[in-house]
Amino acid sequence: MKKKNRLPIASLVILGLIVLGCLMADMISVKDPSYLDLANYTKAPSKEFIFGTDTLGRDIFSCIWHGGRVSILIGLFATLISTFIAVVYGSVSGMASDFIDTIMMRITEIILSIPSLLIIIFLQAILGASNILSISIVIGVTSWCSIAKLVRTEVRQLRKSEYIIASKSMGGGFFFILFHHLLPNFMSSVMFMIVMNIRSAIVTESTLSFIGLGLPLEIISWGSMLSNAEKALMTNAWWIILIPGVFLVAVLLCVSDLGNWLRGRLNPTDKKV
Amino acid sequence: MSKKIWYYLRKTAIFIAGVFILTLVVFFISRLAPIDPLQSYYGERVEKMSVEEKNIARDRLGLNEPVFTQYFKWLDNAFHGDFGISYKYKQDALELIGERIGNTLILGGIGFIIIFLGSLGLGLWCARRENSLFDRIVCKLGTILSCVPEFWLALVLILVFCVMLRILPSSGAYSVTAANESGLAALGDRIAHLILPLTVVVLEHLWYYAYIVRNKCLEEIRADYVLLGRAIGLTKRRVVYRHCLRNLMPSYLSIMAIAVPHILGGTYIVETVFSYPGIGSLAYESARFADYNMLMLLCVLTGIVVIFFNMLAQILNEHIDPRIRAEQTVSGRRTADFRQEPK
Repeated sequence: MKKKNRLPIASLVILGLIVLGCLMADMISVKDPSYLDLANYTKAPSKEFIFGTDTLGRDIFSCIWHGGRVSILIGLFATLISTFIAVVYGSVSGMASDFIDTIMMRITEIILSIPSLLIIIFLQAILGASNILSISIVIGVTSWCSIAKLVRTEVRQLRKSEYIIASKSMGGGFFFILFHHLLPNFMSSVMFMIVMNIRSAIVTESTLSFIGLGLPLEIISWGSMLSNAEKALMTNAWWIILIPGVFLVAVLLCVSDLGNWLRGRLNPTDKKV
Repeated sequence: MSKKIWYYLRKTAIFIAGVFILTLVVFFISRLAPIDPLQSYYGERVEKMSVEEKNIARDRLGLNEPVFTQYFKWLDNAFHGDFGISYKYKQDALELIGERIGNTLILGGIGFIIIFLGSLGLGLWCARRENSLFDRIVCKLGTILSCVPEFWLALVLILVFCVMLRILPSSGAYSVTAANESGLAALGDRIAHLILPLTVVVLEHLWYYAYIVRNKCLEEIRADYVLLGRAIGLTKRRVVYRHCLRNLMPSYLSIMAIAVPHILGGTYIVETVFSYPGIGSLAYESARFADYNMLMLLCVLTGIVVIFFNMLAQILNEHIDPRIRAEQTVSGRRTADFRQEPK
C-alpha cells in the first residue's frame, strides 16, 4: 500500500516559475511597484492593471513580483541565520560532556516554551524601525531551537565514530571536525527541517507585516501588501486580499511539499500524504 | 512511593525554575527596548512634556532605578499578588486581564474541544477508509489548509461572510446594542461573533492532529490483534473503535497536551485580526506600546501555561512508555519529537 516517494515535480515547477518571476521582476512588471497612482486606486483587475491596484494606487501585478523577492529573501536569510546557530549550538551540545549537554538542552527547552510570537514582537520592538535585515535576524534568532535539537541527536550518534576520534587525536579543532566530518554526515537528515524552516519564516514575516509589527507599507512584501487589507475590506476589493495570499500559499505549499519529499527520502518506511 | 514523590518534586522544581528564568528574560529584554513607556502612559501628551516633567513621571513610575532593583521590586510585589498597573489603561493589570481572559478562554476552550473531538473522529474515519476518495480528499485539503497562514484565512472569511454575503459580524465579541437585549438575543449575538474566529482556530489545527491520529491508527490496524479480532468475526468498525482507540488514546492525550500552547498562540493572531477583546489583542497592544507591567504579566501567564502543558505531555509520555524515562538517563531527553514539524 506504500506510495513511492516521488520527486514533487509539479511543486518544483510552480516554485521555480514564481522564483524566476521574482528574479526578473524588473523585466516582467510594466509599472513601478512603488508608484502611487492616485487616479487609479482600488481598481479591479483590467487590461491595464492585470491584478488591479491597491488602496494606495499601486499596481498589484508589479508588487507581487517585487514583494515576492522580499518575502522569499527573508525566508532564506532567516533560515540561513537559524541554521547556522542551530548547527553550531547543536554540535557544541552534542560534542560536549554530559553535564554541559544537559544544561544546553534545558536552555533550548525553556526558549521553546516562551511563545515565539511574543519574543518576536519583543525583539522587533528593540530593533526599532524594521527593514529586511532586522526582520530576518529577528525571525532567525527565534527559530533555531528545534533544528538544534535534531543536530544534537545526530552528533551524539556520530561522535563515537572512529574517524572523528582519529581526527581528534590528530589535533583537529572543533570547527574542523564540524565542517569536515559532522556536517556532511548529518546534513541530509537535517535538510527537511531546514526547508520547513523556510516555510515558517515566510509565514512569520507575512503575519508580522500584516499586524503592523513587521515591514512597513513602503517596503513591499506579500505580508505588507496585505497589511492595508482593512481598507480593502470596506470597499469589497477582493483582489487586494486574494491575489497576494494565493501567491503566498502557493509558495508555502510547494516548499512544504519539497520538505515532505526530503523527509520521505530520509526514512522510506514513513508513509506520505 | 518515595521515588514517585521525588519525581514530582523534581518536576515542580524544573517548572518553577522555568517560570523564574522566563520572568528574568522577559523583564530584561523589555527594559532594553528603546520604546518610551511614558508614551503608553501619557499618550500624545508626552511630546509636550519638558525634560524635568518626564523625569518626575519616570521617578513616580520607578523607571529611573537600576534595572536589577526594578526587577526585584517587581518580583517582591508579584509574590504579594500585585502586578502593577497597566500604563495604557491606568488600571490594575491583573484586573484588566481578568476582564478579558474569559473571552480568550471561550474562544480557545471551545476551539480546543472541537479540535480534540473532531480530529479524533476525522482521523479514525480516514484510517478506516484508507486511500478511499474521502480519505484522499481530506488529506489533500488538510495539506493545503496547513499551509494557509491564519491571518489570511481570517481575512478571506471576513471577505466572504461579512463583506460579500453580509451574514456575520466581522469584529468584536458582541454588538454595541447587545447590552440592552434580552438573554437569548444576547447569546445569539455572542455566538454569531464567535463563529468566524472559531472557524479559523479550528481549521488551522484540526487537520494536523487528525493526520497524526490517522497515521497512528493505521499503524495499529496493521497489528496482529486486529487480524485476530477480524478473524473471530468482529466488524472492522468495532475493532477500530473498541480496541485501536484504546491503544491510541494515551499518546493522543499527550499530543493534545502539547497542542494547548499551539492553539493558544493561534488565538492570539486570530484575536488581533478580528479585534476580539481577549488577552491576545492585549498582548499585541502592550508589546507595541511598551506597557511593561501588562506585558510581563501576560508573558508570565502564557509561559506558565506553555511550560505546564509541555511538562504534562512529558509526564504522560513517560507513563505510557517507561522507555522514554530510561532513555533520558542514557542519551538525554527526547520530548520534542512531536514538534519536529514546525507549525
